[in-house]
Amino acid sequence: MIDRYLVALSTYASDIDDLILLIGVLVGFWFILCEVAFFYLIWKFRAKEGVRAQYMSGEDPKHKRWITWPHLLVLVCDLFIVVGAVRVWYDVKQNLPEPYETVRVIGQQWAWSFVHAGPDGKIDTADDIKTVDELHIQVGKVYHFKLEARDVLHSFSVPVFRLKQDAIPGRIITGWFEATGTGEYDIQCAEICGIGHGVMAGRIIIESAEKHASWVSSQSPISLAAVATP
Amino acid sequence: MSVSGKFCAAAALAVSLGIAVGGASLARADERAAELFQLCATCHGDDASGNFLYGAPAIAGMAEWSVKTQLTKFRDGQRGMHFDDIFGMRMRPMALTLRSDEDIDRVAAHVASMPATRPEAELHGGDAANGKTLYAPCVACHGMDGEGREQLSGSPLANVSDWYLLRQLENFKAGVRGGRPGDQTGAMMRAMSGTLSDEQVMKDIIAHIMTLAK
Ligand code: HEC
Ligand code: HEC
Ligand SMILES: [Cu+2]
Repeated sequence: MIDRYLVALSTYASDIDDLILLIGVLVGFWFILCEVAFFYLIWKFRAKEGVRAQYMSGEDPKHKRWITWPHLLVLVCDLFIVVGAVRVWYDVKQNLPEPYETVRVIGQQWAWSFVHAGPDGKIDTADDIKTVDELHIQVGKVYHFKLEARDVLHSFSVPVFRLKQDAIPGRIITGWFEATGTGEYDIQCAEICGIGHGVMAGRIIIESAEKHASWVSSQSPISLAAVATP
Repeated sequence: MSVSGKFCAAAALAVSLGIAVGGASLARADERAAELFQLCATCHGDDASGNFLYGAPAIAGMAEWSVKTQLTKFRDGQRGMHFDDIFGMRMRPMALTLRSDEDIDRVAAHVASMPATRPEAELHGGDAANGKTLYAPCVACHGMDGEGREQLSGSPLANVSDWYLLRQLENFKAGVRGGRPGDQTGAMMRAMSGTLSDEQVMKDIIAHIMTLAK
């Protein structure tokens, strides 16, 4: 439902959207109910000629049930949220499907850099494609990312994927995504990381198989060297 | 007051208002430059004398054309976009915050108007006498006194922090700077850096450049 208003392009985006919607609806329901009750009570017990305010210690069960009943009902709602959240957490963060390829994502003040596998499909080999601020991936394939930070905390955020993962210096954090549509979208940093945090923006370019293959061959270190040698 | 007296008073008022407004817009341009520079000061220092810990070089008094060129290169991604350019990546977003060419001009004029500082030597083991000989091929583009040559886009080198110069030479040599397509002047310097055989040669030249500081 949310994806009608905000582009969603990963296999798990709708799970996260649904969870947020569930939380929004439950919390919204209680919020409106409470506000209505409060305003009603304020109006009903407004100052009246000849009526003194009463002091209530709140120990009498007759008064306390205004708190205990909603409290219990809210706890029941919480159960739904917890079950939903654990399911989504497991699918998104813990159960990583087999990858088609792996990409290294590195945050530093203030840019995102990426190591793509290159023609051989493996990272940390000679034909890796290194880029700054531009991540190229193929649609419909499972990617693992290895997330690193070179200096301070950053957070790798791809709004169209509903993906957000902190990057921590000294750690390599593995995650995954699978894009369900093509296009060019934002990558952000979602953890304050210094004065340039707000402009630490990258782009993710999701391509069809053919387009991706032609990008890979245009970026292989050999063809690049031909362009760059003065 | 007579009619002509009134007229004179009105004219005087108009003229003085005009001067005030004109002066105010000049002052406003300066104010804008000073405001823009506040950001630069966080890394380059209030007096733009540089900050080793942030990797930000001294830029006070740097030639206006050179500040402009480098800011434009950072903004357009010809500098600060290489995978291994850790320090360039810090500077590039700062240039991106300058929204227009006018803002680049203003802040460049501001930086150029600041009194040049004499950066402290941080490097050791450079032989300035040897460096003087080695500097000979650099003169064509950077000038005898390291003052820079606008016609050839050769940056001014005097009064620049030595650790920064060393990093730039290493960056040029490794293709971290001057290797982006379209960066012709960077490519020129990249070709030159190939003639510097090792770090000692670079340090010697830099030791000589440090003697040129005014
Ligand atoms: C976050 C810290 C930071 C801020 C803020 C910053 N700079 Fe820089 N600046 C750097 C670093 C680091 C370098 C060195 C880059 C390199 O080593 O390639 C640099 C390099 C430069 C250079 C190149 C110097 C040369 O000799 O080529 C210029 C010019 C410059 N900065 C101007 C500015 C201006 C103008 C501003 C304000 C709009 C600014 N900087 C704001 C960190 C900063
Ligand atoms: C053919 C002309 C040419 C020659 C010769 C040359 N340079 Fe350069 N140099 C340049 C240009 C152009 C730039 C500016 C590149 C840019 O804008 O990125 C530059 C930049 C530099 C920089 C970076 C300055 C800064 O503030 O960022 C250093 C350091 C440098 N040169 C040192 C040398 C040394 C040392 C020599 C002699 C061995 C030398 N250059 C010879 C053209 C030249
Ligand atoms: Cu960040």
